[in-house]
Amino acid sequence: MTARKERLFPASGMPASQILAWVFILGAGALFYLLPDSAIAFILFLASFLVLYKTPAAPLIKLPVAAVWLCVIMPLVGLQNSYYLGVVTQAGIYVALAVGLNIVVGFAGLLDMGYVAFYASGAYIYSIFATTQAANFIHAPWAHFPISGMWFWPFLFFGMLIAALFGILLGFPVLRLRGDYLAIVTLGFGEIIRIVLNNLDKPINITNGPQGLTPIQAPALFGHILNQPIDYYFIVLVAILLIIIVARRLEVSRIGRAWAAMREDELAARSMGVPLVKMKLMAFAIGASFAGAMGVIFAAKQTFVDPSSFTFMESIGILAMIILGGMGSVAGAVVGAVSVTVLQLQILKQLSDYLGQLSAEGILSIPSQIDPAKYERMIFGLILILMCIYRSQGILPAKRRLASWWEQIRVRGTKKEAEEGVDAARS
Amino acid sequence: MEQLLHILPQSLLDGLTLGFVYAMVALGYTMIYGVMELINFAHSEVFMVGAFAGTEMLLFLQSRGYLSAMPAPVALIVALLAGILMSGTLGMLIERIAYRPIRYAPRLVPFISAIGVSFFLQDAVRLIEGLWKNAFYLTAPTLFTSVITITPELRVPAKSLIVILAALVMMLALNIFVTRSKWGKAIRAVAQDKETASLMSINVNSVIALTFFVGGGMGGAAGTLFATQYSLIDPYIGFILGIKAFTAAVLGGIGSIPGAMVGGLLLGILESTGIVILGFATHGAIGIEYKDVLAFVILIIILIFKPGGILGEEVREKA
Amino acid sequence: MLLEARGVSKRFGGLMAIDKIDFTMEAGQIASIIGPNGAGKTTFFNMISGYYFADQGTITLDGKRLTGRSPENVAGCGIARTFQNIRLFPGLMVLENVLVGMHRHLSANLVQIVLNTRGVRREEQRAYEEARELLIYTGLEGKEQELAKNLSYGDQRRLELARALAVKPKLLLLDEPTAGMNPRETEEMTTFIRRVRDERNIAILLIEHDMKVVMGISERITVLNYGVKIAEGTPKEIRSHSEVIAAYLGEEAPGDN
Repeated sequence: MTARKERLFPASGMPASQILAWVFILGAGALFYLLPDSAIAFILFLASFLVLYKTPAAPLIKLPVAAVWLCVIMPLVGLQNSYYLGVVTQAGIYVALAVGLNIVVGFAGLLDMGYVAFYASGAYIYSIFATTQAANFIHAPWAHFPISGMWFWPFLFFGMLIAALFGILLGFPVLRLRGDYLAIVTLGFGEIIRIVLNNLDKPINITNGPQGLTPIQAPALFGHILNQPIDYYFIVLVAILLIIIVARRLEVSRIGRAWAAMREDELAARSMGVPLVKMKLMAFAIGASFAGAMGVIFAAKQTFVDPSSFTFMESIGILAMIILGGMGSVAGAVVGAVSVTVLQLQILKQLSDYLGQLSAEGILSIPSQIDPAKYERMIFGLILILMCIYRSQGILPAKRRLASWWEQIRVRGTKKEAEEGVDAARS
Repeated sequence: MEQLLHILPQSLLDGLTLGFVYAMVALGYTMIYGVMELINFAHSEVFMVGAFAGTEMLLFLQSRGYLSAMPAPVALIVALLAGILMSGTLGMLIERIAYRPIRYAPRLVPFISAIGVSFFLQDAVRLIEGLWKNAFYLTAPTLFTSVITITPELRVPAKSLIVILAALVMMLALNIFVTRSKWGKAIRAVAQDKETASLMSINVNSVIALTFFVGGGMGGAAGTLFATQYSLIDPYIGFILGIKAFTAAVLGGIGSIPGAMVGGLLLGILESTGIVILGFATHGAIGIEYKDVLAFVILIIILIFKPGGILGEEVREKA
Repeated sequence: MLLEARGVSKRFGGLMAIDKIDFTMEAGQIASIIGPNGAGKTTFFNMISGYYFADQGTITLDGKRLTGRSPENVAGCGIARTFQNIRLFPGLMVLENVLVGMHRHLSANLVQIVLNTRGVRREEQRAYEEARELLIYTGLEGKEQELAKNLSYGDQRRLELARALAVKPKLLLLDEPTAGMNPRETEEMTTFIRRVRDERNIAILLIEHDMKVVMGISERITVLNYGVKIAEGTPKEIRSHSEVIAAYLGEEAPGDN
């Protein structure tokens, strides 16, 4: 009995809900294209991705739609409304960070509260060389700082490497620590890195301390300088794509299974041969490397880095994104990151604009202190508390999945069964 | 070297004073960990709220003219009461709202909830103070201004002595409460074995609420003392100090009340004198800006090599 | 000689849990360790598995030293076990539980996985097939995608066995495999244990309280009491051993059930 080739749509004559879903998806896309300045259209557009994700249909249909949405509609709108482009690019960076942290926290079960340190290491390793900073301590005639934009691409790898190194360095001491203690120690590491970055301007000036590093060289590709928002949009998009692919491949691999086993029952996992130390270090290193790469991109995009971008609050923000979206679920990390970023950069900003307007018109008198966009801690805190109490599995809870060939094996039976002439269809 | 010896006594005193504050806050961490095996991340903000409560009380007294009319120690006691009550109640509220519903969830869930509470409170206080006072940093009126000069290198501010004295009194009171009173025994019973305690007709929920009140109250008192000592407070003073107090609790042995006291003092002294010594040893390369790093390093070293702390049990016969 | 333990001792604080035990097993043998509660049976298992460090003595498998190795290392030497209180991976699927057991026999590394090479895909497919076969072998066919926590008690025990077999051990440690089972299930388990040994030539060491099982299946029985070996021999010898009977006095005499 051969498996039916998957239909493009599960059944001809789709249920009303599906038709509605597609109407919504296509409508939101069109709406956003036609009304590039509308906040509602923007939010609906983002929501359409979620609906697209959950709609039952073949990847052959869904992926092209997503591709058009991301590579045609969004850029076109972005060229008209650079604010949304900025929001989406920033959300994209956080998506990558969230997926990366999800590998450490969600896959391997290691609550890393100092994740931002890896982000910082990537950002700084690029910034030091992409500004005149390195000239402070590298006095060699052949060395020209800032390095040319072509070096951005190799530095993506250097950033990953440095961050992975830090990940392993962090991993070693915490190997035997239990969940909450591990969290606190990683928090400590994160803070140590930040304090060091903030003070490493003497005796040798390596990081320029609290003043930060600027201007940071933009990436260049064969002579073209990529410093436009649209360039960063695509760089981030490609980065996200790669990171998500890697994360999903890891998830169904023997490494991902080892992590899951470790997370469920460390001792039993070890008894089955899972090398605990290696797996934990690998989780730290891989998660860190993603943050490192994004750090390089972030530095180039912002053209300015300073230690204040890499605080504990950032780490908790990313954690909130994963908890909101669903710990252990890649799609959840994406949803969480986009939701929180949009919440902050879009919704809260509109709220504070609105309040400011009311204040200016004399309707309400609100001191300038009360700027909703500045109350990130409260937002993160609420997200964490509410999710933990009411839906700790997140918006898109993690679900175990087997690789694609399982279906075939299940239906047609294993080779051995075929040899034995057993009718596997009895299962 | 001569220079070092000149500065060391003052650092020692500063460290001692701070150490008492650490000890009081550490008590909150250790008591709550004892009954619930939960690291109450929000305790640092309970401390901070106590500081604000005490300060607001003093500012209130000052604005009504009462402050100058009453002897300083009385004002301090009033402020302390405000801090203790505010923080104790807050502690109980936090437990009721953010921890109890998920008490039996996998361990990390309440922990993450605690982090959420901590963050929420930081901005909540900032919002409240911002709306009320139009500023979120406060300056507490100074109560004790006299300074006792022992030597040119060692000047003991009276307020430091008061802090130490007040801390000692309260820790003593706590000790008596925990070891002698009926409720104190109940707390210790629940810390040992929750289930059996409940079988002995101890109302575990009430005991836990009480623990949060007492622990929170200690934190609040510490906050008020902190405000009288350092004057300037803002909603973010809890964060770093909380981690250090937690370090102190672990240093002394998490779950152990004497451990928290010992750990607090030890950490305070180590931190203050250590950073001075380091500064001299490295000719200023590692200065006081790395003070926090030193505390973190101590935490990491303890957790790796002796997680049971100084007064804690020896672990690890297993792989 | 497959497994050899010599002069093994373990103390917990003031308590001597195991006191200078000698123990051997041959390849392909089925043996049992019995004794009253607290005699040190599980402690001994845990020392073979690598959870506890031996205070004294050595344990070797095929001449290779086991003492001092970590649990994952011990598994790598060819020892797998089940647990007294089932320790599956509850949130993972049945198939995944078995696949974890195969971890050391798979070779896909990080780079290969990231690149999703043909070699990785082939290896995974073979692993899936092997896992399915193990599940069929242990009677869990059709339940591969169930979450382990949703299985019935009996199925969970079967899964634990399947997972242990996935490790491809030379020696299988079973900690009270028939606990909580009714007579029919116990019978099935006993038959299964024999099958595993006969078809796969795996040595099996059991801790058991069910004397019918012990007497019926063991080629050799070792009796512990208070951390000391008080008797060792064939079922017939043990059944009438005076010290063993004395140790069990107050519980049941061996042979009754």
